[in-house]
Amino acid sequence: MNLHWDVVWDNLPRLLAGAWMTIWLSVVTMALSIPGGLVLAFMRLSPLSLVSKPATAFVEFFRATPLILQIYWVYYVLPAYFDVQMSQIATAIVGLTCNISAFNSETFRSGIVSIRKGQWSAGRALGMTDIQILWHIILPQAALRVLPALATTWVSLFKDTSLVSIISVPELSYVGLKIRSETYRILEVLTAMAVLYWLMGYPQAKMVDWIHRRFKVVE
Amino acid sequence: MTISLAPFANNWFFLLKAVWITVVISLSSMLLGFAIGIVVGSLRTYGGKWVDRILGFYVDTMRAIPLLVVLIWIYFAFPLAIGISVNVMTAAIAALGIHLGAYVAETIRAGLTSVRRGQMSAALALGMSRMQAVRTVILPQALIRMLPSLGSLLIFAIKDSAIASVIAVPELLRQTQVVAGKTFRPFELYTGAMLIYFLLCFPVARSVDRLYRRISFLGSS
Repeated sequence: MNLHWDVVWDNLPRLLAGAWMTIWLSVVTMALSIPGGLVLAFMRLSPLSLVSKPATAFVEFFRATPLILQIYWVYYVLPAYFDVQMSQIATAIVGLTCNISAFNSETFRSGIVSIRKGQWSAGRALGMTDIQILWHIILPQAALRVLPALATTWVSLFKDTSLVSIISVPELSYVGLKIRSETYRILEVLTAMAVLYWLMGYPQAKMVDWIHRRFKVVE
Repeated sequence: MTISLAPFANNWFFLLKAVWITVVISLSSMLLGFAIGIVVGSLRTYGGKWVDRILGFYVDTMRAIPLLVVLIWIYFAFPLAIGISVNVMTAAIAALGIHLGAYVAETIRAGLTSVRRGQMSAALALGMSRMQAVRTVILPQALIRMLPSLGSLLIFAIKDSAIASVIAVPELLRQTQVVAGKTFRPFELYTGAMLIYFLLCFPVARSVDRLYRRISFLGSS
């Protein structure tokens, strides 16, 4: 079997541009999903069922259906039936953000709930309002606790951006598959694509392990 | 906007078969993933430094590379490398299972290491071999502790089976696309598919939760 690795070198700039798009998509999605997740988490913790029920439904639904289907849904259904016109990249960001926000909200919620009740009582005894307690006592502690779970979600988001290749967003997978069909050097191109993902993802996986060790909750 | 249920009425058998394929792929990849995960997770915990490093490389690689890429590589590139063609179902189950296996292995390892050392010493003191101790003392407790994480991995197995649509496995998402393309009713079909996935995943999540609440006390030592 003849391998032509020069195909990979010739197309390396395109692959790297795709890799850059992958990183960009992950960063933008996470930047939107942290506030998104916080809002959903606070909504779920609300005592008003009119507020908490819809948030619960949203979160459970997005966590129990495949992301790839959510992306198709946003892509095919929103423009055709709700008259929302978006570029592919915007579609990808909307789909990914809804999904990751749902996962983040569970992370934040468990972080907030994990802070012991005594902390609230202590705050109240000092005459603080609920908002003050949340802002000065609960959230600073919860922020460190959610970091490991957030890091795990980050890595799965980074991998999941590959799924938006199905709606032709030019990230690494899409570019890789495109070069494959242009050159027919299937083995070389797909291997190069996997190696690029590995080069980016492996340090992140290690970093997540480190964060898990460093910020493990010790009561 | 009018909603028509005709696409479902006319294609119900076609879609039902697709649901069946989704179930088959999910279950097979779960079996494969759990088999790999239990072996790799135990070997990493008890197999010594080098085994841990080598298997750790597999686990971290799978954590680094997207499932889509693993799937495409196994289906398109791997057959070229070894010169045998691979059928779509096999490729899908293999990719999903190998990917899932890494995550199961991590969960198993975390569970095994969470059981206190004293338990192992006690088992050894009773004259058990290490293998016996792991099988009869450590693993049963660890498995119960791992139940919530393993449960969410089961959900991931079901959801991730949809990615197999990319290599044209005739599972639910793929066949939904086929019917949507034929009937020009993407809204009804994609929404319907979402509901079906939800109905497949949600009961699994709920029953694992319930089971865990029932038996979690068995795992505390």
